[in-house]
Formats: sequence, structure tokens, C-alpha cells
Amino acid sequence: MPYLSILLAFVAFCFGSMKVQELFAAESVVVYSGRAERLIKPVLDHFQKTTGTTVQLLTAGSTELVNRLRAEKTRTPADVFITNEAGALELARSLHLLQPITLPEVATTIPKPFRAPDNSWIGLSGRMWIIVYNTKMVDPSTIHSLLDMATPTWKGKLAIPTANSEYLQAGASMILAAKGKQISNEFLQGIRDNAGNEVYGKNRQIVDAVAKGKVEVGIVNHYYIFRHLANDPKAPIAPLITDQDEGGMGAIMNVAGVGLTAHAKHLTAANQLITFLMSPTGQEMFAHLNKEYPVNPKVKTAPELPPASSFRPSSIPLTRLAELRDPIIQEIQRLGLR
Amino acid sequence: MARQARLTPLSLMGVAIAALLTFPLAYVTYSAFTGDLSQASNLWNTRLPELLTNTISLALGVSLATLTLGISTAWIITRYQFWGRAFWDWGFVLPLAIPSFVLAYVYTYLLDRAGPVEHIWQWLTNSDVHIPSPYSFTGALVVMTLNTFPYVYLLARAAFQNFNLSFEEAAQATGATRWETFWRVSLPLIRPALVASMFLVVLYVVSDFGAVSLLRFQTFTYAIYQQITGRFDYQSAALLSLLLVSFALVFLFAERWFRKQSRFYQTSGRVRTATPKPCSIIRGLTINLFFMMIFMAAFGLPVFLLIQWTIAAWANGEVGTSFGTYIGNSVFLSAAAATAALALGTPLAYLASRIPSKLHVACLQGAYIGYVLPGPVAALALLMLFTDMIPILYGTVFVLILAYLIHYLPAGLQAMESALQQVHPNLEEAARNLGAKGIRTFMQVTFPLVRKGFFAAWLLMFLLCMKELPATLLLRPIGFDTLAVRIWLEASEELYQLAAPPALLIVILTIPAVFLLSKKNWQAG
Repeated sequence: MPYLSILLAFVAFCFGSMKVQELFAAESVVVYSGRAERLIKPVLDHFQKTTGTTVQLLTAGSTELVNRLRAEKTRTPADVFITNEAGALELARSLHLLQPITLPEVATTIPKPFRAPDNSWIGLSGRMWIIVYNTKMVDPSTIHSLLDMATPTWKGKLAIPTANSEYLQAGASMILAAKGKQISNEFLQGIRDNAGNEVYGKNRQIVDAVAKGKVEVGIVNHYYIFRHLANDPKAPIAPLITDQDEGGMGAIMNVAGVGLTAHAKHLTAANQLITFLMSPTGQEMFAHLNKEYPVNPKVKTAPELPPASSFRPSSIPLTRLAELRDPIIQEIQRLGLR
Repeated sequence: MARQARLTPLSLMGVAIAALLTFPLAYVTYSAFTGDLSQASNLWNTRLPELLTNTISLALGVSLATLTLGISTAWIITRYQFWGRAFWDWGFVLPLAIPSFVLAYVYTYLLDRAGPVEHIWQWLTNSDVHIPSPYSFTGALVVMTLNTFPYVYLLARAAFQNFNLSFEEAAQATGATRWETFWRVSLPLIRPALVASMFLVVLYVVSDFGAVSLLRFQTFTYAIYQQITGRFDYQSAALLSLLLVSFALVFLFAERWFRKQSRFYQTSGRVRTATPKPCSIIRGLTINLFFMMIFMAAFGLPVFLLIQWTIAAWANGEVGTSFGTYIGNSVFLSAAAATAALALGTPLAYLASRIPSKLHVACLQGAYIGYVLPGPVAALALLMLFTDMIPILYGTVFVLILAYLIHYLPAGLQAMESALQQVHPNLEEAARNLGAKGIRTFMQVTFPLVRKGFFAAWLLMFLLCMKELPATLLLRPIGFDTLAVRIWLEASEELYQLAAPPALLIVILTIPAVFLLSKKNWQAG
């Protein structure tokens, strides 16, 4: 029957295309990535070119990838897991999906608050959740803390992200960890009331609203401000890093990072890739692609950013993000943020 | 001659296929009831009333809206002759080429705070008033309606085209007004087509993720999505999915029952179908204006924006070069899945329509469940099943094709069944009496007669597979990206302009399928 032969040919094709490369590519490393491909591919390409190790990349949502790792158990093809936020990495660790990275460079290049206690994952670049203000309307010296955004002064003048923004969730978690439940709840209620209708699904829109003077201030991830300025250098906006006073909680920072999977099949290649990502070249490429801060203090930040030495990030360990995630989501829903 | 339902090899095959298709459901059921049920019962107490209300009201709202749009456009096109009719005839099918998540994305851009529509509104009214948020019932209603009314249009148009005018004339001869004739004669007569289209629309509304998750409207599917992406809670997701499946089953049985009640073969004798009447210039203009509004909202404007964004991305030199591979992957997967679905669907549809024993009908019903079992939940179930039981196939395109097949076979099955039902069993009996064997009868008598219907089914499944996202994201082999996946990858991190080129490519690539689909005279039930 011709149908049968077509079917057989098809079967052969499927096997051929998928399995062969796996069998013959000895020097390869499989990466699961929750970071936008555009922000990670150039780094991996560079690694592939300089070392000759093939990188196989699978991009999807961070949480979906944790689910996938969990479902695949010991059979996972993944060696390395990269995400945009420490919460997902810590979650993977707590589910025993990661194993400690034993490279000696970890201790010397990655500051302690930005890696797992057992070094199962390490942060690579920092993204700050900060204030963007309209330079024509706001005197930045009047703002000292992110918590000020919740005071009645800013009623009707503030733009915030929607309740399901993971950055809002992570930011509120950090405040909860640093200041306790009462203050974090007051903060959430305050920004809810001050923002009113000015709640946006996209960071880009918040920056846009501030630039147009629709609102005076907004809370966003810092790189969106620089992305806007790159397109429109004359826009009247500027970033404001707060909470720098003695004893203050420090600026809220989350990291994009990398973890070594518990059942990695290509340990050598995986370690080679992680070593590269920690190296000055690797960190610089990784961070600069999205105008983030390299976690290694010795690596230069992108010239348009305020220098890393000019501020102090919060000292709350990022590992707490995973455990605070559920409580904070419930609190955000209870308080009726939109 | 009534034939006994025996366990023939063909029935066994049907059972095997049904088992394959309901495999994920079995796994989901298992996961739903193993382990700690406290989280789930919490969900039950707190979320269920809201989810139920939202899901049902969205399904009802979209049904009403698509019926109104679909019937009115189909009626005008089959009854009136006006300038531009040839274009509208197939133009209304074009919205099927746009994936729901792309349409939802475009609408969040358009209707969002400080978005273009709000700007225009504020400029026009010279005020500071906000327009209703797209993240609401209204937003979901608009996007879903614009995305699905072509199903109603297609089926209603076919029904109106094959409509025997004598019935209407009889009504009018006995003194009924035109309006009364329409409501009491024309509409009831095309009821099977309407029910079949409602089947597609309602099941689409309750199972689609793209629109509700982007518009954050709390329906069952969105809650399920949140359970497995936000909270890692597969058990609750599984439980909610089961609820959704039972909801859909009730609907399925209702539809079956209805179809049984209203099955009719074309009466013999002369059939006079309606010829479009010429109409005045004013009326022609009004029709064109009305049609233009619908068309722009459902297709013109979204595609215009996609083109604009693509050009902007192009000008910035941000459009990649490997689109050939993505196109190849998308087309290969969708064609393979549609073909496999046709092959597996044929025995099921044939058995149920020719020997409608309880077993055969149950097999067919089982196959329909895949349509409502939420994509990500089914995909995760397949993932776990394959890694545990057939690891050699895991990570190949097989798993992905199986996922497509399970999810979209029902959409094609509907058309296949209708096509088979219109072949009178007498013809097959005759062939058999002349000594032809089962397979030969099917290939030489039945298949040529249902070819067009089957081709339509293939096209529909191909179209749906091209637009599939959640299962592809989860099950695709490493390094194997499709166009839909590219859209998702670029749209994360708010790089929305870069998501436009692959979205535009999906639309362009599916337009031929959509066009063919619109040319086919769809027969329902």
C-alpha cells in the first residue's frame, strides 16, 4: 500500500530529524531558558563559537519550564536552567530539580545574597524595580523611599503595573520581608489608591505615561526607562533609586540567573557554560543586552546606567522570594489591586 | 435492513483510536483525585461560583453575538445582489486566519489605557474620560466574537444557499409578513447548521487560552492556566479541567440529541434555491458600510497593525533570517497532524454514522472530549505519560502531533460526520450487494462522495494547528520553533513589534486554506 510506505517514510523522518543530532553531538549542552531569546541567544552563540560546544536552546515561560523539569524527572534533556527571576530558580531548587554548582569561581565572583545557599543557582544580572519620574514635574529630592509612593501626596499622580505583574509581586515580597506585613499592606493599599485608574499591563506604558506627563511618577523595572530613552533621548524622564538612607531597606533588586539541573547529562559542558557566564565577558554580554547590572561587582555596567557603586541593593536574600510568593499573591488579591 | 452491532476488526480499531484519544483524560482524572485534596477544595469554595458565572456568561454572550453577526451577514449575502458582494462572500472567512492570542494582543494595544482608541475618543469628545478596559468581560466578548463568527457565517451561508424557497413562498402565500417568515420559517429550517456552528463556537470559547489569558478574564481556562503557570498546582488544574469536560459533555449530549430530533434528508423533487435580488444603491451602500465595519474590526485593522509593526521592525533591522525554518516547521506539523487526524477520524465517524451502536457512538463522543480538555493540561499529561512509558518517543515531533490530533480532531470530525451522513446508506448497500468488500466500497463509493467534506475537515484542522500555541510551547523538540512559538517568544519582554512578522506570516500562510474553506459549500447535519 502506498499509504503505508508514506507513513513509514514519515516515521523515519521524524526519528531522523530529532534523534540523530542528539546521538552525534557529543560536545553539547541543553539549555532551558525563561529569558527572552533575544536577550540570551547572542551570549550562547558567542560561547558556541569560542568553545566549539554546541548549545541547544529551548525557550518557554519560567514556570512552564519548572513544570517541564518536574514532569521529566530523571529523563530531562536539560543541563542548565536560565530564568529572569530568582523566584523560579529557588522554586526549582526547593523541588530538588537543581544540584549545587561546585565551580570555585562561584564564591569569588557572585556575592552571597545573589545565589542559593547551596549554590544550586547563581544570579548573573540584576534588574531593579524603581521609580521613574517626570523631570519637569517632580523634584526628586522630595522622594526618599519607594514607600513614599503610598503617601497621599501622590494621589492621582502615580502609575503602577497590574496585580499579576511578577515584578510587582516580587517587589511587594521584598518589602514584606524587609518591613513586615503591616507596612507592606499599607504600601499596597497606598499605591492602589494613588494609582486609581492608572494601572497598566506593560512597563513600557507606564514609562510612556510618565514621559507624556499623564502621571508624574511610576514604578517599573529600570531597563524600560533606558529603553525609552534610547528611542527618545529628549524624553523628560529619569530613574530614581531610593531607600539608600542608613538603615533603609535598599533598592529592590531581582536577578536573572542560571541553575545546574539535578539530572544534567552533560556535566562538563554545562560547567563550561556556567563558567563562561560568570566570566567578565559572559557577565558583561548577558547584562548589557538588556541594560541590567552584572552581579559581579568587578564587571563594568553599561555606560548609560547609574554606576553600581552609587547605590546599595536590598540585603534580603532572594531565596525568600519563592516562599513569599503565594502569601503575597493572596494579599494582593485580597486588597483588590487591579 | 438493520445490521447487528458485532465486534468487527473495524470496531476494534475504533475502540483503539478512542482509547488513544482519551488517554490524556484518563491521566488527568487520575491526577485530579490522587494526593491532598485540601487545596482543591479551597479552590472549589472560593473561586468556583465566579468562574462558572464568567464562563457561562461568556459562552452565552459570544453565542448570541456570533449568531447575530453570522446570520445577518450570511442572509444578506445569499439574498441580495450588490456591488462588492463577490469580495464579502469570502472576505468574512478571513478572520479565521488570525490566531486568537494575536487578535487579543492587538485589541489590548488598541483599547488599553492611553492606547490609540482612547486617544481618539478623548480628542473627539475633548474630555479626559477613559474607555472601558479590554481586560474585562467586554474585551473577551469582543475578541472571541470577532474571532469565531466566521464559523456561523460559513455554516449559515451554506444552509441559506441550499434552502428550498418553496417553504418561504408557502408561508408568504398564507399571509405571513417577511419578518414572520424569516423568524418562523427560514431560521428554524437552518437550525441544524446553527446548532453545528454553535457547537464549534461554544467549545472554542470554553477551551481557548489565548484570548482569556491575555485579557485576564477569569474563566475556567484562565484559572486552569493560572494554576499550572503561577502556582505549580497540577492537581487543581486537573480538577478544574474535569469540570470543564463535564460541562462540555452536557453540551455534547444536548447537541447529539438535538441533531437526532432534526435529522432530515433532502426531499426529492424540485428544489428552488434563492437567487440574490438586486437592490438599490442606497441599500447597497448601507450593506457595504455595515460589512466594512465588521471586516475592519475582525481582520482589516489587526492586519494593518501587524503590517505596520513588521515594517517598523524591518526598518530597525530586527527581523531575523531563519523564518524559512519556522514556516517549514509550522506547515509540516500542521499538515502531518491534519492528515493523521483524518486517517484516525474516518473509522470513528464511519462507524458512528453507519452502525450507531452504543459502543460506536461512545467512541465518537470520547474523541470529542479532546477539544475541551485544556491544551496545556493535556500537553502536560502527554509529557508525563511519554517520559514515563515511551521515553524513546519523548522529545520528538510525534508527541506534539499527537497533542494536536487529540485537540483538533473533533473540529474536523464534525465536518466528516456531516459529509458521511449525507451519503445515503443505500448506495453502500448497493455496492456491497454487487460483491464489493468493505474497504473497496469505502474507497470507491463512499470516499469520492465525501471527498469535499473531508477536504474541508482537513483544512479546518490544518488551520487550527497552525495557530496552536500552549501544547507547542511545552512539547516541541529542542531547537524546533514554529511561527506561533516565535510570536510568543518575541512578545514576552514586551518586544511586541518583533512579534508582528511571525504573526503576519501565520495569517498569510493560512489565507489559502481559509479561502478554500470558504469556497467549499459546507453542509451541516
